[in-house]
Amino acid sequence: MPERELGTRNPDKGYVALLGWSLAAVEALDRFDRRYIVVAPEWAEEYCVEHDIPYVPWNFERLNDRSMEIAETLQKEGVDVAIPLFEETVEWAGAINSVLLEDPRLYGQAMLLRDKALMKRRAQLGGIRVGIFEEAHDRDDVIRFLKRVNQTLLKLDGDPNDPIHLKAFDKAGCLGHRVIRTPDEVDTIPEEEFPVLMESHLDGWEFAVEAWVHNGKIKFLNISEYVTLGYSVFVPATPELERYRPQITAQIEKLIKAFDIEFGFVHPEYFVTSDGEMYFGEVAYRPPGFKVFELLERAYGFNAYHGLVLAFDPKTTEEEIDAFFPREVVDASGVAGCFGVYPRRRVVSDLRIPEQTEDDDYYESHDLSKPVEETVTKRTAFGTHWGLVYFFGEDPYRMRDLLKQQEELDFYV
Amino acid sequence: MEPTVDNVNSEAARLGKRVASLDDAIRAMAETRDFGKHTKLRRVLEALRRVLLQQGGAAAVQSRAQALEEAGVFLETDWASPEILIPSLVGPSLHSGDADTVVMEAASELRMLAVARGDFAHPTLSAEDARLFLSQVLATNLELLFAPISEAERARDGRTAELVRDLFRHLADEIGYDSILDNLVDEIWRILRQRPIQVEDVQSLITRIAVYRNDPDVALGVSSGQGIDRLITSLFGTTEACREDPGFDVFHSRLEAMDAGGLQYEASGFARAMHDTGLVSPYHAQLLRFLLRESDYLLAEALGLSDTGRNCLLRYSELVHRLIEVSVHPQTAQSVYGLALLLDRGILHEPPIVPALWRQLALDLSPVARDRLTAAFGDVPDPRARLVAGVLSMLGQPLGVGQGDNPTCQSARALSMWSYNDPDYLLQMVVWAARDDEVIMHFEGQPISSKESASGVASTLPTDLDPVSLLVVPHLDRIYAEMGRRCAGRPGDPHRWVNPEFHGWWTGRGFHINVDVETGNLVELDDFLRQFHASYHPSYNGEQPLIHPQPAGVAVTDSAARYVGWHAITILRAAPDPQDVMRVYFFNPNNDSGQDWGDGVVVSTAGNGERFGEASLPFDQFASRLYIFHADPLERGEPERVPAEDITRIIGYIERSWGNDRLPAGSLQALEGPRS
Repeated sequence: MPERELGTRNPDKGYVALLGWSLAAVEALDRFDRRYIVVAPEWAEEYCVEHDIPYVPWNFERLNDRSMEIAETLQKEGVDVAIPLFEETVEWAGAINSVLLEDPRLYGQAMLLRDKALMKRRAQLGGIRVGIFEEAHDRDDVIRFLKRVNQTLLKLDGDPNDPIHLKAFDKAGCLGHRVIRTPDEVDTIPEEEFPVLMESHLDGWEFAVEAWVHNGKIKFLNISEYVTLGYSVFVPATPELERYRPQITAQIEKLIKAFDIEFGFVHPEYFVTSDGEMYFGEVAYRPPGFKVFELLERAYGFNAYHGLVLAFDPKTTEEEIDAFFPREVVDASGVAGCFGVYPRRRVVSDLRIPEQTEDDDYYESHDLSKPVEETVTKRTAFGTHWGLVYFFGEDPYRMRDLLKQQEELDFYV
Repeated sequence: MEPTVDNVNSEAARLGKRVASLDDAIRAMAETRDFGKHTKLRRVLEALRRVLLQQGGAAAVQSRAQALEEAGVFLETDWASPEILIPSLVGPSLHSGDADTVVMEAASELRMLAVARGDFAHPTLSAEDARLFLSQVLATNLELLFAPISEAERARDGRTAELVRDLFRHLADEIGYDSILDNLVDEIWRILRQRPIQVEDVQSLITRIAVYRNDPDVALGVSSGQGIDRLITSLFGTTEACREDPGFDVFHSRLEAMDAGGLQYEASGFARAMHDTGLVSPYHAQLLRFLLRESDYLLAEALGLSDTGRNCLLRYSELVHRLIEVSVHPQTAQSVYGLALLLDRGILHEPPIVPALWRQLALDLSPVARDRLTAAFGDVPDPRARLVAGVLSMLGQPLGVGQGDNPTCQSARALSMWSYNDPDYLLQMVVWAARDDEVIMHFEGQPISSKESASGVASTLPTDLDPVSLLVVPHLDRIYAEMGRRCAGRPGDPHRWVNPEFHGWWTGRGFHINVDVETGNLVELDDFLRQFHASYHPSYNGEQPLIHPQPAGVAVTDSAARYVGWHAITILRAAPDPQDVMRVYFFNPNNDSGQDWGDGVVVSTAGNGERFGEASLPFDQFASRLYIFHADPLERGEPERVPAEDITRIIGYIERSWGNDRLPAGSLQALEGPRS
């Protein structure tokens, strides 16, 4: 079978450890030319044994006294570098890589990347624009911040408030993300969510970037355009957003300098305001959610996990990684987007792709499953979607409109 | 609406886009390692469905059949090995209402087509086999070619209903219609040779073919459809007086104008067609009613009776007349065949039968029974007449009982066995169920009422049954399940106690099983097989033919010899066939007994000495699928005389089939016992 040959390991190249279980990542690496090993909780063992997937068990809870143990295990195994797949494994990768690569700074760097408040301070120190932000330990802090932000904006009593955003310090993406507009809404925040990070709302255009970094240089930079935050994203972005590419690239260069990032992969979020100013939102040192890797593969034809390995592997050469990545935007065969489905009704019994969606030329697939429960849990904050619907086509503007239209449709009835 | 050039262009462009998306999805799946392929399947399925919904989509998928298979679309699914697929399962898949199943099934057919056309040299499937498979699929799903989409289909299958129609048109265009018809006709004859009581499906198929043959747009080869004429004429235009299907009034006036010779000619014509095919023309029913006013001689002629039958008719003329008056109508024409065979069996000479039939004729049905009969068959003739017609069929065709699409093989088997062996008990059972809506049977001295027993094996009431089964099976099913529940906690298999109590005193009290209920593992195979020979094989049981039908359990396997489930059958006899091969002849309550059980074990229904409705296998092959049988413990036989090589050969069959991994979750299933 052809994939057997693809999976031939090159002994001159690095040996990577994947931190966390992701079938898409494992499957991609299994047909790549690097040796790899999966570091995942014990529940993954049976699957790995059954499918001959190299595996060491490890439970990623909080870093503790035993953290050195996994670093040493991997070192003994001959692993060159660890790649975090999830937010929760970023600090582990830092700790492990500081041992494997004999660079203690990597651990400190990972801690910065894991704490949203620290992260913003560091960015600010690096000369990057950020919104107003503060940590909150209780509800009073939130009310005070909401008032102060709106005073700063010269709002009078009775004017509608600008909202503020609350986020957990160390969670990925939209988990725990809330928008607060009035003091009344503060009461809805459960006690256990504190402490949180508060940010002023930036009335701009939010987008995300995926950047593969090798030897401190950006090797591939993708701009993911959001249509509605938490609902939909597509790549490559519209020319309207892509025209900021030079400024965005400059921002990312600032970012990797501020965080001292030599290799790997960053996934930051920005706002661009109407006057063209960029505001840093946050940055993650791991693959993005929302299947952006899959979208990139559909649009460009390269496997983003392979790119990840190349960017992390210290044995990757400049020529190798340059040859791997296509040229941004011009080499894309089309625009790939996806839409996160939330049931719109309170009671649902069946999954039904709307004919309007199904008949659209851009529609390709979905990963929605049939509803298990009939009652839909009320969304607090930005909940998790029930699955994604995928589209592919030529025109980014049509893609944007199409993704927007999906918000008005019922996928669960 | 005429397609305009623009329309055609945009249609083609749309198909082009969808095909490009399919190609990319296939590529992505092909690149993926086996353990991750399932993550790429959804996109392939969506792309396939969208292509298949377009005009020309089927051809596009056909040309990608090899790429689809090699990418792994069929991997670890029921479609993984095309060489073991079964044509009769295609229809249910296509009508499953599950879009993914429909798409997989459609893709599987198009793969067959690519193989049949020689475009895809398949490693395990030959072009001839693929072609044969497809013509059987087309033959058994003829309605998908000729009939418009029904409302029910539309509601259930939605847009895939149209997809399936397009697929079939494409298949038929590529394979050709002639071969379909030949296979179809063979298939109909094969089913009819088993003489089922229920022939509605066959009748509607024949009707459709008759319509199709008269369609000037359909060009049929000269040779196609050998034997179809006989089938069509058995329903329409059987004799001179109804040659051109003139309608009942014309037919009736023609009969009135006939002399005795003409009527005799009509009578024997209908009788011949009936005994030839097992099908009865509605005109035949009308003739019979007409002949009531003529002579019993002509009546006997129209029923095609043997000497025994004629004797019964003449001796119980009044009863037979009354039975015809009440129950034989154009809508219940099939009961004529039942009546003829009932008379030929001579069971009217058994003392209780005649009075029991008089009771049946006068029976007041409970409202529940009336409602169920009316719901299933309509109200013409009235429910009582419908039930009498059903009784005639069941008494005339004990081996024509079928379980329908229900997991109630034990109940169907019991009805068949009583009709065969204890017909007056069957008549009693019908009265209890139809008049009282309650059946009480006894289990080890304790009464069990069907009314008090909560649930049976079947979770819903069956509707696709003959009139007698329709009323009696729900009661039997609950009682059977209750008997099982009363055995809970006893060690071993409950059939040891349930079978004799449920079926009748003649069930052997000696009980043999080769599966350990606790573990599901095979146990004491050697002894089991020797005992079976000693009880049933004439060479080892003192040349004693089987006296009473005996319930038995078989492990049904599929055409790849993989275990499917436990199943209840009746052993009828063991005897040498015309080639002198010792065979076991048995009754299978499945609607079609001709099944391929894999590893060369193919159940035969005709051509090996079978009587109508019997299934048969060579003795050793039968023994290899048997897991439960009953025998009289006092009749020892000569188990030690069975040659070791015979036992070894049978064990070989077992090991290559259901005994292979003995069994997945076997203990539970064995505990539950035969379910269907």
